[in-house]
Amino acid sequence: MNAVRDTAHATGASGIHRLNPLTKLAFAVTVTVCAFAVVDYRWPLLLFGILLLPAAIGAGVLRRFLLMLTTFWVPVAVVLFVVQGFFLPGAHDVIAQLGPLKLKSEGVSFALLTALHILVLMSGFFLLLLTTHAGAFMSALSERKVSPSLIYIVSAALQIVPALSRRATRILHAQQARGQVIHGLRGRARALVPLMGPLILGAFTDVGERAAAMETRGFGATRHPTSLTAVPDSGVQRCLRAAMMLCAVAAVTVNVWGVVR
Amino acid sequence: MAGFNRSTPSWLNERWRIGWGTGVVLVTYAGLIAVRPTSEHGVGGPIALLALVGYTLGALLIVSGAVARLPPTTVALLPVAITVNIVMGKIVYFSGLPLQLDSIGTVLVGVVAGPAAGAATGALASVIVGMTITPGALPYAVTAAMIGFTAGMLARAGFFRRLSTAVLAGGLIGAVAGVVSAPITAFVFGNASGSVGQSALIATFQAFGNGMLKAATLQGLVADPLDKALTVVLAMAILKGLPPGFLHRFPFVRDRHILAPRADLVRVG
Repeated sequence: MNAVRDTAHATGASGIHRLNPLTKLAFAVTVTVCAFAVVDYRWPLLLFGILLLPAAIGAGVLRRFLLMLTTFWVPVAVVLFVVQGFFLPGAHDVIAQLGPLKLKSEGVSFALLTALHILVLMSGFFLLLLTTHAGAFMSALSERKVSPSLIYIVSAALQIVPALSRRATRILHAQQARGQVIHGLRGRARALVPLMGPLILGAFTDVGERAAAMETRGFGATRHPTSLTAVPDSGVQRCLRAAMMLCAVAAVTVNVWGVVR
Repeated sequence: MAGFNRSTPSWLNERWRIGWGTGVVLVTYAGLIAVRPTSEHGVGGPIALLALVGYTLGALLIVSGAVARLPPTTVALLPVAITVNIVMGKIVYFSGLPLQLDSIGTVLVGVVAGPAAGAATGALASVIVGMTITPGALPYAVTAAMIGFTAGMLARAGFFRRLSTAVLAGGLIGAVAGVVSAPITAFVFGNASGSVGQSALIATFQAFGNGMLKAATLQGLVADPLDKALTVVLAMAILKGLPPGFLHRFPFVRDRHILAPRADLVRVG
């Protein structure tokens, strides 16, 4: 749950932090679409090298950016190389032999391409997540007249996760105070049941109160509410977003055309 | 996310948006099946892009349609269900079990508040995991939406009144999830699935000469029904444990007799 708590502190002074969240979202989407649009492993590498990595350095989040990539991208890449390097259907150009397994060059190049695509997809969204406060993101969406229910659901879920993990610690402590011993793997598994019961049932029984609170505060109102915090935006960013979206749509169109033809 | 205001034309109202979204997903899936044999080299690029764009567009339409129809009590329920998804998913992930169990909340909402609410729960849970933990969850938003939607439809058909049929419903939900998620696993992630066990299964299927999509689908059809059957059992256990007044807040489960009447609450005589 650390990652969830961390996003609440995604505040910083860099120019990238101050950009409108929608600009960063458009950037993540566009860079992903462009990476997938070209079948050449150098292209996503180029996007990563000249856009994503410098952006992470510029925002001053390089250490955590690389940490998240090692946690989430490296395992996928390793599995990808093992699965497709040895077992890509239709590959026959053997470059190495490991007992009964044959490493094939088509498999390795496919794995390389796919791993780099996933690298760009993950990096784009990690950048968004490391430099954007979730609240600011929701405010930006709310200014775009996205349904208030949707914004409430996402923001509330982001707040409940840390609250729930605090409650889990409290329940665990209470049960240990009553003499529960947690030893070894089986003990830990057995401790899970008396933890999850009160935790989950408690969370659901709060729903009624929260619904009543929302109704008394005019949640069901049909007028669109105004926002307390204005999210900074500029003409340049608006143009930039339009250009990026145009670029993404063009890449998709060309690709769909290529696939259909 | 799509920003629709109130003066939308009738072909874009809530119900239609869910329909359009489902249509986009189905067309994408059919398109992927249709073009697969002709693509020798382009498996990683254009096909993956097609899968990503079609599924994302479908998920956005379904969510924007589904969320607009929810009453406040359901809106208050969704964040809790999403949190249950995330917390259980993480616990199971770190326990190293070859299971996912990351859709207990989705199934629960589908049963309690109907297909649209279930679909919204699943898709938004994927979006939140994608925004906070790993972007790898984002492409699977449609699968999660389909899990909630199917759970709601099966609940409406009365599958959740008895435990045996509920387990069967879990199997059906799993089959849907396995089939819908296969193109993403195969084309976007090159069959490198989240867990080592799943990837080993896929590799085995590929080693026996199946194509990538077929191997991913087979893996989904083997692993997901079991996982979702267990998910349904856990969701039913939670429903059993909740106070009876809780379920009375939701018209879907109350008026359609989705669940069996509880023995301890039936009036005698």
